[in-house]
Amino acid sequence: MYEIWLGLNIMFEVALTVLPWLLGALAVWIALVAAALLRGRARWRSTLPASVMIGATIAALGLWFVPLMTKSSIYEMGYWVDWANLIGLSLAVGGVAFAFIWPLLATVACPDSGDPSCGESR
Amino acid sequence: MNRTTTGAAAPPDAGRRRFVLKAGALPLAAAALSASSRKAQASTKTSAHIVIAGSGLAGVALANRLTRELDGAKVTIIDRKEIHNYQPGYTLVATGIWPVDKVSDRNADLLPGRVEWIKDMVAGFDPDANTVLTEGGQRVRYDYLVVATGLHLDYAQIEGMDVSAIGANGLTSVYPGPQAAQATWLAMDAFRRQGGEALMTLPATPLKCAGAPLKMTFMLVDRLREAGKQAASKVNFHSALDNIFSVKPVNDDVLRRWTELGVPVTFNSKLVAIDIGARRATFESPEGERQQLGYDFIHVVPPMRAPDAVKNSPLAWQDGPFAAGGWLEVDKETLRHRRYPNVFGLGDVNGTPRGKTAATIKKSAPLVARNLIDVIAGGEPSQRFDGYTSCPLLLREGSALLVEFDYEGRLVPSLPMIEPLQDSYFAWLMKYRLLKPAYMAVAKGRV
Repeated sequence: MYEIWLGLNIMFEVALTVLPWLLGALAVWIALVAAALLRGRARWRSTLPASVMIGATIAALGLWFVPLMTKSSIYEMGYWVDWANLIGLSLAVGGVAFAFIWPLLATVACPDSGDPSCGESR
Repeated sequence: MNRTTTGAAAPPDAGRRRFVLKAGALPLAAAALSASSRKAQASTKTSAHIVIAGSGLAGVALANRLTRELDGAKVTIIDRKEIHNYQPGYTLVATGIWPVDKVSDRNADLLPGRVEWIKDMVAGFDPDANTVLTEGGQRVRYDYLVVATGLHLDYAQIEGMDVSAIGANGLTSVYPGPQAAQATWLAMDAFRRQGGEALMTLPATPLKCAGAPLKMTFMLVDRLREAGKQAASKVNFHSALDNIFSVKPVNDDVLRRWTELGVPVTFNSKLVAIDIGARRATFESPEGERQQLGYDFIHVVPPMRAPDAVKNSPLAWQDGPFAAGGWLEVDKETLRHRRYPNVFGLGDVNGTPRGKTAATIKKSAPLVARNLIDVIAGGEPSQRFDGYTSCPLLLREGSALLVEFDYEGRLVPSLPMIEPLQDSYFAWLMKYRLLKPAYMAVAKGRV
């Protein structure tokens, strides 16, 4: 339990150090989702596979760039604990990317709200 | 000159509320953290006056805990320092991994609103009169005292040593502060471009962050390797002891690694003098034989002892292995003073085996808070400390060991899957990105 509590506190303190960036990203995400919802004809379902694919690709790339962003490299993975952490972090990066890309694609895939083909697969 | 900050009118959980407000963008985390903290809040009513000597991690963490967990107590902290330095980050600054501004915060941002802050330095202790003396001449009486003054870097024991010269003439030392760490990196950066003879030192006294001399050695070798100057350089380690680390498995593992990296170790070789301008260092054996060596780069680790205020007071050990350094005489399990039952010790100043790290404080600050509250409530200390400490040992840029051990020198990983002697990205990530957030949570009294 202590380690879970410690982990939560670490995440919280990390978040505090990047709070302006977090707030900015949250505002962008809300704007993207709002834009998609307010248009009323966003293609959520049809853009899901592409969004998942892009998120998965970014997660895969994360295996390389997450260590680089932390002054290390994929060649420094010593044992399974390192790999588990790296995969977890990369999945998180891919998940965040997916959260932004899906509403974006859903909106831009249907730029003309007067197009009768748009909104069929909401 | 001494500004005091009192908050008698502030609500009991003002610090907590401020913290929750800061978390406006993180409602889930804030709710979870806040809810948990309320459970431990203000459970003991008392009018006791508790004085905390020192505002390092130990003092600040304890101040936060006591103001939250005691209802009606007066908590006073004595320390002139306005800047709170994250000392575990010094090795990162000194090896070019972190910028120097990443290790400094403000004590005012960490101390709870309800604490009385006397901005003066402790000059002495009179425990028979329950009084702390300050450099400014104040006599501060207490009901309970927590000594958290940290330790003294005794560079004066090295003849010719000048702390203000760190960074010049290949002289480096990571310990004095952020500026020395930054100057150390600049000197290391210059040295690695040309290579040459490097001397790394280790004194015979107890050390804070005993892994720092080893980290500096590993990182120097790595920086030379990066610059293509490793083959043209010699890195020699001089230990004043017959080992380089008090935990045998770690000692043996590091020595094996240094053999592979071509770092010879001279044991029982104590740095006693230095000629900074001539770049010559004098080492002495236990038999008193002296040897003078030239260098292009030297990392000086000073002998360490308790600050004069503790060393020269009745609170210091009077005999035994901790008496020479004047360390605080506490019971190693309860961290309560062995002769003055209303005095506790926390952090580097304690005369206990091993454990002068932030990780020690992480584990022992809650324990001291609880034991002190037990004593205030009329009972005996209920908690026992096992001496836990931790050392994320940098091996090279991108990899580290996560070594955790106790009083007995047993390796005690926090999580069973962690292999302490395994080169690890996870251990590196902890040191590089996650331990400072953990430190801040400790300072705020949350973990």
